[in-house]
Formats: sequence, structure tokens, C-alpha cells
Amino acid sequence: MIVQELHHIQKRHRYLPADELRRLAERTGTPLYRLQEVASFFPHFHLEPPPAVEVLVCHDMACHLRGCAGAKAAFEHGMAAEIATGKVAVRYASCLGRCDRPVAASVNDRFFAARSADELVSLTRDALADRLPAADLDSSYAFHANRPWRIDPYDAAGTYDAVRNFAAGPDRQRVIDELKASDLRGMGGAGVPAHQKWNDVWKAKGDEKYIVCNADESEPGTFKDRELLTRHPWLVLEGVILAGLLTGATRGWIYIRHEYAEQIAIMNAEIRRAESLGACGSRIAGSTMSFPVEVFPSPGGYICGEQSALIEAMEDRRAQPRNKPPQLETNGLYDKPTLVSNVETFAWAPAIVLRGGQWYADSGVNGCKGSRIFSISGDVIRPGVYELPNGTTLRELLHDLCGGTPRPLKAFAPSGPSGGFLPAQVPVTALPRGWEKRAPADLVEKVKASGGTHLDILDLQLDLQRFRDLGLAIGAGLVVYDDSRDMAAEAVNCSQFFRDESCGKCVPCRIGSQKIVEIGEELLANRLNTAALAVREPLVNELTRAMEMTSICGLGMVAAKPFQSAIQFFRDDVSRHLNGNSAGHAKGDSR
Amino acid sequence: MSQGVSAIARDIDDPYDGLVLPEEDGLFARDIDGQLVRMDKVTAADFDKQITITIDGRAVTVPKAVPLTDSQGKILRDSEGRLIPRATTIFDAATKAYADEPDGNPIPILCHQEHLEPAGVCRVCCVEIAKVKRGSMQRERKLLPACHHRVEETMEVQTIRSPDLAARRRVDANVRTLVNLLAADHLPADWHDHLPSNELGRLTKRLDALAVEARDLERQAEEAAHSGQPIDEAGIEAKWPLTGNQPFAARGLERGQDHSSPRIDVDHDQCILCDRCVRACTDVKQNFVIGRSDKGYATHVAFDLDDPMGTSSCVSCGECMISCPTGALVFKGIVAEALATEGEERLTADELATYPIFASVPPKFLAWNGGAVTRRRFAPGDVICREGEYASTAFLIVRGRVGVSIGGERADGRGSGGLKAFVRTATRWLQGGRAGGASTGVERRSTVHIDGGRSLVLEGGRWVDEMTSEDVIFGEMSCLNHYPRSATVVALEPTELLEIHKNVLHMLQRNEASRRILDEAYRGRSLARELRQLSMFQGLSEADRSRCAEMLRDRAEIVRVDRGQPIFHQGDVADDFFKVRLGFVKVSQRLGDQDRTIDYLGPGRSFGEIGLVTALVDFGESLSAAGASRARRTATCTALDDVELVRIRGGDFRALIREFPAARDHLVAEAQRLLDRDRDRSSQADKNLEGFLENGLYSAQKLLVLDLESCTRCDECTRACSDTHDGITRLIREGLRFENFLVASSCRSCLDPYCLVGCPVDAIHRKPRENHPGAVEIVIENHCIGCGLCSTNCPYGNISMHTESRSGEADRRLATTCDLCRDLVGPNDDPSCVYACPHDAAFRMSGQDLLKIVATRRGAQA
Repeated sequence: MIVQELHHIQKRHRYLPADELRRLAERTGTPLYRLQEVASFFPHFHLEPPPAVEVLVCHDMACHLRGCAGAKAAFEHGMAAEIATGKVAVRYASCLGRCDRPVAASVNDRFFAARSADELVSLTRDALADRLPAADLDSSYAFHANRPWRIDPYDAAGTYDAVRNFAAGPDRQRVIDELKASDLRGMGGAGVPAHQKWNDVWKAKGDEKYIVCNADESEPGTFKDRELLTRHPWLVLEGVILAGLLTGATRGWIYIRHEYAEQIAIMNAEIRRAESLGACGSRIAGSTMSFPVEVFPSPGGYICGEQSALIEAMEDRRAQPRNKPPQLETNGLYDKPTLVSNVETFAWAPAIVLRGGQWYADSGVNGCKGSRIFSISGDVIRPGVYELPNGTTLRELLHDLCGGTPRPLKAFAPSGPSGGFLPAQVPVTALPRGWEKRAPADLVEKVKASGGTHLDILDLQLDLQRFRDLGLAIGAGLVVYDDSRDMAAEAVNCSQFFRDESCGKCVPCRIGSQKIVEIGEELLANRLNTAALAVREPLVNELTRAMEMTSICGLGMVAAKPFQSAIQFFRDDVSRHLNGNSAGHAKGDSR
Repeated sequence: MSQGVSAIARDIDDPYDGLVLPEEDGLFARDIDGQLVRMDKVTAADFDKQITITIDGRAVTVPKAVPLTDSQGKILRDSEGRLIPRATTIFDAATKAYADEPDGNPIPILCHQEHLEPAGVCRVCCVEIAKVKRGSMQRERKLLPACHHRVEETMEVQTIRSPDLAARRRVDANVRTLVNLLAADHLPADWHDHLPSNELGRLTKRLDALAVEARDLERQAEEAAHSGQPIDEAGIEAKWPLTGNQPFAARGLERGQDHSSPRIDVDHDQCILCDRCVRACTDVKQNFVIGRSDKGYATHVAFDLDDPMGTSSCVSCGECMISCPTGALVFKGIVAEALATEGEERLTADELATYPIFASVPPKFLAWNGGAVTRRRFAPGDVICREGEYASTAFLIVRGRVGVSIGGERADGRGSGGLKAFVRTATRWLQGGRAGGASTGVERRSTVHIDGGRSLVLEGGRWVDEMTSEDVIFGEMSCLNHYPRSATVVALEPTELLEIHKNVLHMLQRNEASRRILDEAYRGRSLARELRQLSMFQGLSEADRSRCAEMLRDRAEIVRVDRGQPIFHQGDVADDFFKVRLGFVKVSQRLGDQDRTIDYLGPGRSFGEIGLVTALVDFGESLSAAGASRARRTATCTALDDVELVRIRGGDFRALIREFPAARDHLVAEAQRLLDRDRDRSSQADKNLEGFLENGLYSAQKLLVLDLESCTRCDECTRACSDTHDGITRLIREGLRFENFLVASSCRSCLDPYCLVGCPVDAIHRKPRENHPGAVEIVIENHCIGCGLCSTNCPYGNISMHTESRSGEADRRLATTCDLCRDLVGPNDDPSCVYACPHDAAFRMSGQDLLKIVATRRGAQA
């Protein structure tokens, strides 16, 4: 429980004084280096006394598009005196999860959305005067959505019917069968069939087993878990309890990023409510089964979303992904069988159990199965969270639901920064060989009809398998760019995110993510000429491949992708930054 | 709802609110590092499962799992005494498959070391894996680290040396990019000057050599495919680039240097974050000082709370430095130079690198321990080492021929020491021809003529053996069991040896390949010799004895047992016979509901014969009459300290008995004798024996014992000690009470001292005193680096650490212990503590003597 101990020290001192750490080490018999390892890793912890007011400005994707740099500069100008005296500090932070209301910021760990620089200055003055107003609550914001959602079978607050039914007559195999029939996939990115994981943990041998809900949603552009936690907390909890009862797990946790302070409070309240309803804790629904659930607030960092890193963090270590095998399903938290799934995966379980797997599978369109919740942000009229049948085209989402883009569409990031950028018209030469055989016939027809050289991304069907068939990745965070955007700059922005969030465990990601940023920054600073770019381009491709082939986890595997895709698809944007001086900078010039 | 929202607004300022801290002992009692013993689900059943995989097309069969060992190759056990399975990795399999190849394992490594748990962070060992999935061979999309990935049936592995050039390139291109990244950030400009200790530099050189090799193969392939057409040289070169052409810009972040430690310099910029020092500090040495600090690109290794190394709790043991594959951790000054006496030829790390056996020893370790290896040359007739002498060195035979003689007596400081012993042993010599081999073990008295008109005469000693460079090493047992030399060795021809100190031997044991060389040397020579001397073979002819020994030696296993672990229990099925190689074994019997300790066995003793003999059908009768159950153990045997045993399996034993029936009678008689003796002992078991063994008194040779009947607690002994040793006492007048005696806290000069194990610079050892080669006192040399390992290892708290301040010099931390006033008094004189006692209450005696005195005194009282 080092993390909790450190939090208590920080609460008393606002940072972690070395003397306190030494006392903690003494008291608990923990080596000092273990405390340092943890305290220095997580952004939540301060090892130096912080200024009276610390302002964080979100730096990523939607906030970058909305001008976080300008906001930060304006803030710095407005608070110049206080910053000079060290009373106030402002710095960039990685995605704060309010991409639908950029620019997001926090003042002394209180979160504010879509505030101007002037408003941030005034909030900061309030904070200095010790009268900082309440945070901008997600629950009081009417975000854009296509309600009602099929995911929630309840008209009002959930009544845990699926849990009650299960407790009354546990039929584990039936639940597994329904999940199998539904073809519900993990919504965290990898898309592992849910029934497989549940079954693995159910069948794994162990005196103790655990369920962990991964609510560390920290990927830029992704905020759908936030809305599920805020407005449908019972679904998440019920899914976790169902998994717990089915697998015979002994404890469950909902691991929530600490920037979702509101959602942590909501979830805590929901757990208490479920307990009072007899749906959580001991003797569930009058049965002999028990399953306690707690919230585990993350000490922070995108990498905690990687499930084995998350488990490391829960075990009081640096959130560094594990080498696999072994898998978490057999050797997870405290080396016990552990089911780690995304918020949304758990949240679909109650409806699937109540209405049947076929009901969910049938909700897909265009030959796809099931539904999914997407967050969409960037240059779009109505950014928000939408529940869509899998197979819905991007055109339907973007134009019919989101009201289109303010200017013509230029690029689309189908998985936050992780999938790189796609141009509005994807050259078919960039698609894997034989794509026509795997793609749906009508899509192939459309490509042919438009000349056969390009694929219109608006025709893409939003579905994991459809994307995979085209050699593409799709996540839950869709970010849209219109033709006013410089994709080279946006790519560097994404590269910086990965560099900042790399845990540093393995070489390809630790050094590779930095080298990509360096090359990108060189480009943006107009320090490259055509010749220098010609040297760097194969290097970027090699690095992209080596990182994908040898990194331990998904972060490192994709970290070079945004920049690589900018070079591949947005040549004009890249060329615009080249300087005309043919003398240019040769490789290795900074050595 | 509005109420709910405001409550939430209050709560969210502190997302950690509502978390209950669990009770304290539950928190950290579990384990210190949160480290989990079991990494994956291999089981003991996997020890016997054989897996065949191919590596670069070469098939190799390995066990699916092997027992987990510590950094010295010692097998570890769980709390219930069971072996802990460790999955065999692809890297392990490749080591085995390429053991006999000059280039060895083709898979490169940086963050991995054989004696460490794999971390899998540098990724340069990444290989391409294919295996049968759903009925067909399928290639894994990602490359996987060979150091961590376990072997699986049907696996086909491609490395950077695969004969399949396409596969080779898929691996090579990515590994090369990784090495380029590391080189850009962490290779200093002058790295060429720091080979071979910079493994990253070595790897870049190796990759270049591999690229050149691949280009040749590519040309050959093109030639074969399109004979006569011009070869696309540019294409080939682009496909197989050289690393020297560094493509990445250099490091953008200066992590800085740390010169605060008196012994080790830190260059964070050269650090590749391989975690080898982290594991060295915590897993190998249990010092718990080094970890990773910060995150991502800014990650660096840190000491304690990112303190300067010199002010951290670092004890400067040097383990991190010798583990470091780059110049990130380097030593400040050479230690252990004093190990080589003046005029001896010290070997540099570079010279040692040319000897294959040192390939596994970190060059930094060899360079740091400047005097730990010396070249020694001997003329025929020169005595290399003397029986009965304490020493902490072993000899590697480079060339020449030496003879081994055992006189059967030990110079233990009583009688046979001094010049007389030297003359006797040196003249106890006999020449024999190896080719014939018939003279082995024959006692003779003769004159040996040696070049230069000298001659040696053997008097009553036994010529036992001779050795050449094929025997690799001798003298290592004195380093391992800390006993005096068991033989005298004399050069028979002009002979060249490398004398290595026990710290170097310790490092050699880190590595399986060198452990195997040492093990084979032991089997080839010492083991056969030891087996020949087993009492059961006494009725056999010399020739049969040798045949028995030959027969058993390849089948005998060397088994290590941890302190306190049972070897077998009374009543267990008896199937093995044991001989103690190192350490001590306690023998106890259950009588009624009581366990009684009846005996203890030291090196050279054997046990387990009774159960084996009763297992032989036709031998059971008379013995069962004597109270032995057929084929069951009659006593429980437990390791008193870290024990190494030679185990002979029952089947091999029975085969031997069939072959040499003459051994039976002796064996039965011996078993009968032991049974009778045990029964006697059991009935009159000394009630002090348990405490005697538990407190390690069996091993003690020079206890400081105060007779409490006459001691007035005047503390003259302590004062005398302090006065003798510059004000720093080496005794504390407190300690164990044994009947009416106080065993004061002062070095006991144990027979088998724990403190001598693992000293990284061999600063603590026994060494012969002038005219007294068998001197038992433990000496801590001035080149002690103050790491405190000996102090931690001494179970009796008799070694203390203190800081020495000298004007003009930095403070030094040093270990001190009682040296029996070695530099002050003669070998048989009383040390100051005893001499100073005004009441004749202080004595120095062995544990056995104390036991006898106690028994006698009790007898007198009764």
C-alpha cells in the first residue's frame, strides 16, 4: 500500500518530503529505493514543494487543435508576476479526458473545461485567495449524444437485475454462452472476445481471483468511459459483479484515473448504493455469494491503461508493463488469476445477460455484429459520445450525428493518436495486399466507382474487424481534422504525448519515442531540408517498424505511427516545413 | 440529484478519500519487495518434460523447466523445501545448442545475465518465433525476447545468424535499430578505448561483423540464383548496413555524473537502463539501494531517494559496478592489489580475456581486483602448495605437470607446523609416470631424481596423483570448504599456473559453463579420489577400489542443501547414499515423542549406508534384528549450514554391490557398527549436543570462553583487546551462555566460516603465519572495501564495521574481527584477552573441548 501511504503524506504536506519518506521506509521496512521508484514515476506525486497554485493545461489532440499553446501563453502573460515569484506555476499535462470541451485545464487538481485563458487567470486568483470555485462537473454538462443508449437496460438508476437473477440460480455456462453469442469484444483496444477472458479466469485455478475494471481512460480523444461512469455507473458495477460471481473471484476493483475525481466519487456512491440494495458486498441478493468492490484511484499516467502496467501500479510498483507470458488471466494481481477489462466491456454485460447475446450481436449493421460507444472530438460540430451499431459508416456518424465538420475534412485519427492519421482519401496503395478480397463488396465498388485509386474514409465502416481487414486500427477515440490543419504539427503533438507517457522500461520505446519527437521538432523548427528529410524518412520507417516489432507493450508499438503516417500521407504539410537552404543539417549534426 | 452533485463536488477534491489503510503488519509483512516467487506456471513435473525446438534450423532438446538457482548456481527451495521450477528460455536453449561452437550462443544480450532473473528490457535478444498453432506452423507477428520467452514444443526460432537470410534480416534490422538507438544515446566518443568492458560497444562491433558476413552470404545467394549477372552491391549494402554509420542524433538530455562515492563513479549518460545493477544490488547482494527513478526518457538509476551514491546507504560492495555492461558504473581505484605479493606477475583483465575460462567473468571485476590473478612459474621439484596450509587460492594449470601427495596429517598448528613440516612435505615425494598409471596409490619409499642434481625423498607419504592442464584446476576445495590444503603439490616439469583468489573462483561459479568445467575437474580427480577412500571399499584391492570409484564418479551427483533443510527424515524410504563435501550435517533420531540429536558429520564423512544396506534383500536379516526397518531411514539428517553432498543413487549403489561382492561384508559390518553406535548415543544422548550444534559450536576452533565461576566481570579482557587494536575492541563480553561458561562475542575461527563466503575482493581469509601454515585465525586485510558482507554473514555477530578516519584521507568503512593477536604473540601464545585475565577465567578453546569440559564438570558434580 505504498501508493496510499504516499498519498496520505502528500495530503499532509502537499508534496513528499524526504524526511517523511525515510520515516515511512523505517516504519514499514520498505527500502528507500522502492519508495523513490514509485514516488518519482507517477505524475500525481510531487517530490518538491509545489507552488501555491499549480495550473495544468491539457496538451493533446483536441486541446491542441483548440489552441492550448495560445491559452497557456496568455495565461503566462496574465499571471506573469505570480509566476515570476514562484507562487504560480503552469505546465502542460497529458490528456485530461475532456476532449469534448477543449481546452481542459486543472487548477490545484480541480478540473475545468472549455475555459478561456482569462477565466483560468481568474480561477487562479481565486485559488490564491483560497476561494477556488467547484470544478466543472461532467455530470452537469449536457454533452452531445444519441440517447437513449441500448447499453442501459434500465429506465432509471440500475436495479441490478442481472446480478439478482444470477445469484438466484447461478448458471455460469449460460452467461459464457450468451457472451459468446454476442461476440462482445474487449473495448480497451485489443478486442479480445469477452467470453474468452471470463472463461479463462473462471477455469483458472486459484484460491483467490480478482476482477479489475480498467477505467484509466487516458488516451487523447477518448472519453466515453467517463460518460459511462458518470451517467451509467450501475452498468459498470453490475458488469464487474457479474464477472466476479461468475469467475468465483474474491475481490473487485474499479481502477479510475485520478483526474476523474468526480467519477471516483460517483462510483464510490454507486458501490454504497449497490450494497444497500444487496447487489454488492456480502450475501448478494440473499445468496451465499459475496463479492466486495472498491474504487482504486490511479496515481496517474496513460501507461496505467496498459493492463499489466495497471496491475503493477496496484501492486505498488512503477506502472511498467510486464513481459508476457504469463497472462493476467492466470498470473495477474498478486500472481492470482485476474480479469482486467475495459469499463465499456463490463457495462455491456448486464444488457447482454438480460436480453441475450443474440440481441447484442444483431444490433450491428452492414454485416457487422454488436454495438460500440465512440467518443468523437476535434474539428466536428457536435463532439461527444455516441453509441453506434458496429458497421456504421464514418459518414453517418460525422454528418448525420455530429453535424459535420466546420471546414472540409482533411484527416481522421481512428484511434486517438495510436492509429496514426488517415487522409480523407486513402490511396489504395497504402492498403495491404488483397484488401479487396476482405473488404465488403460495396466498399470495393465505391472505390472502383471513384476511379479505383483512393478510398473515401467517410465510407469506412466503424468496426474492429472491418478496420483490421484494411490493415487499420480503430479505437474508441475518433479525432477529426479539417483542411485548416497542419498534420505535421499534429503528428509531432501526438509523438510528444507518447514520449511523455512512455514508462521508459524498454529501449525501443524509451529512446525511440524521443528520437521521433526530435526529428519532428527539427522539422517544425524548419531545420531540415530536402536532403536531410531524405535521410530521416527511411530512419523513421525503420524506427516505426522496430518499435512495433520489439516494444513490450502497445504504447511503444504505436508511438512512432502518427509521425510516420504524416510523412506517408501528408507530404505537403511536411514539405512546407523544409527550409530551402540546401546546406541544411546533416544527420547526427547535434553530436 | 442536486444534493448528490454538491456532495460529489466536495468529494472530488480528494479522490483518495474514503480509502482505508489496511493494518500495518499486513502491508509489508508479506514480502519486502512485493516480489512474487512464482513468475509463471511451470511445475515440478516440467523438470522431466523434454522440449525440442529448433534454433536457426538446429534442433536442441531441453527440459521444459529447471530448478531455480541463486546467482551462484545454488538451487533454491520454497518454504516447504520443494524445488522451485523456472521455465527454460529460448536463450537457455540456444546456450545449450551452441555450447560447442566457437562463437557460442548467437543471440546477443545486454540486459540479461545468466545469474539474474530476466528483465527483458533491452530487447536486443529479440528473435522471430514460429510454432504450430491450429495445425499449421505460424509465425508470431512480433519479435520476442529470447531471455524471457520460454521454450515450447514445435517452436522454430530465427536469430540474427539464421541461415534463412530473409528471416535473419527481419531480426537483424530491428536489433540493429535498437543498438543504434542505444549507441546514439549512451556510447561515449572514446568507447573503443574501453573494450572489452563496454558490452554495448562490443555488440555494435559484432553487428558490423555480422553485416559483413551476411553480405557475403547474400552475394553467394545471388551468384547461385543468377550466375554470371552483375551483383547488386549497393542493394546488398543497403540491406545489411553497418552500425558505425550512426544514423540517430545524439542524446538530447544530459543525465550527468556522480562522483560522490569513494569507490565507484557513476556516469548516468552511459547508463542504458538495463536494470542489471538494480538486480545485482537487490537480488544478488540484498543491499536494496538501487532503483529506477523518474519516467520515460528521463528515467535514470537512483540510489535510495535519488541521493548521491556517496551519501546513500550504498556499502560500495562493487556488485553493481561489475554487473554494469557499459561505462555507467566504473571503479575508482584498483583494490586487492595487495593480494599479489611483490614480484608476482599480475595478469591484466585484457590478458585474462584470452583464457576461455575467464570469458564469463566481467572484465571490470578482473581489472578492479588487480592482484587476484597472478602467473606463477615453477621448476621441477618446487612445492606449489602444502598440505595442511590454509589458503584462499586455487591454481589453473596452463602448462606443465604436477604431482599430488597426501601425507595423511594436517598442519593444525599443533606439532607439525613450521619449517619442519615444510621440509617433510617437500621431501615426501615420489615420481611416477602417468602413462602407465599402474602405480596409482602405491606407497613407496624412494628417491626421486630431478633436474639440476636435486633429489626428493618420500618418507611415508603417499603419492596419489598427477595433473596436467587437462585437469584445469586444483586447490579450489580450500577456497570452498575453507579447510587446509588436503595435499601437497609439487611441480614435476617446468610448470606455469595461474593462481586465482577465491573471489575470482566465486565469480567463475556464476556461470554455468565455467561451473561445468569446475565440476568436471572435480569429478575427474577429487571425486574419484574421495570415493576411493570410502570405508566400504576397504576390503577391496587397490585396483577394484579404483574401478569402484571410476564407476561411481560419473553417476554421483553434487547436491546442495540449505541451512536448516532436512536431507531425509527418519522413516523415509532409503535410496541414496551421501558423502559430505562441504558443511555439516546433523543426525537426529526420534525416540518416543522426543527428537534427539545423536551426531554431526563434517566434510569427508558419509551417511545413508544403513538404509541402503537394509534395502538389499539378502542383507536385511541381521540388521533388522538390530532395530532397523527394511529400506527405511533410521535417523533424520539435516543440514546445519550450507551443505554440499555427493549423492549416489540406490540403483547405482546396488549395481556396484553386485559387481564387487567383496564390498558387501564391509558394508554390512559398517552398518552394524553404526547402528550399535547410534543406539548407544541415542540412549545416552548428550543433552548439550543440541545447543552445541544449534549455536554452531561444533565449528568453533578458538572460542573465547569465560568461566563464570571465576570471572568477576572486571572487563580486563575487553580493555586488553582494545589496547592491542588501536582502541577498537574485537570482543564484547556478552554472548551465549553454555552451562556455566560465557561464550563471549569474539571471532571463533570457525572450521567452516560463513564470513569467508562471497567477499568480492578476498580481503577476509585465513593465511599461513610465518612458521605456522596451519594458523586458524581469520584475517581481514587492509584492502577491505567495507561492504559489510562478512559482518552480515557471521551468524554470531563477531565481525563489526567501523569507520576509520585518517588525517588527509577520506573516511573508510572497514570490517574488523579478532585475529588472535596474530601480529603480537606467537602461534601458541595466549592472545591479549586471555593473557590479561587476572582471574584465569578466560580461555581460548574449540567447541568440542568446551563440550568435553562441560560434560566432565557435570560428571564431577553428579
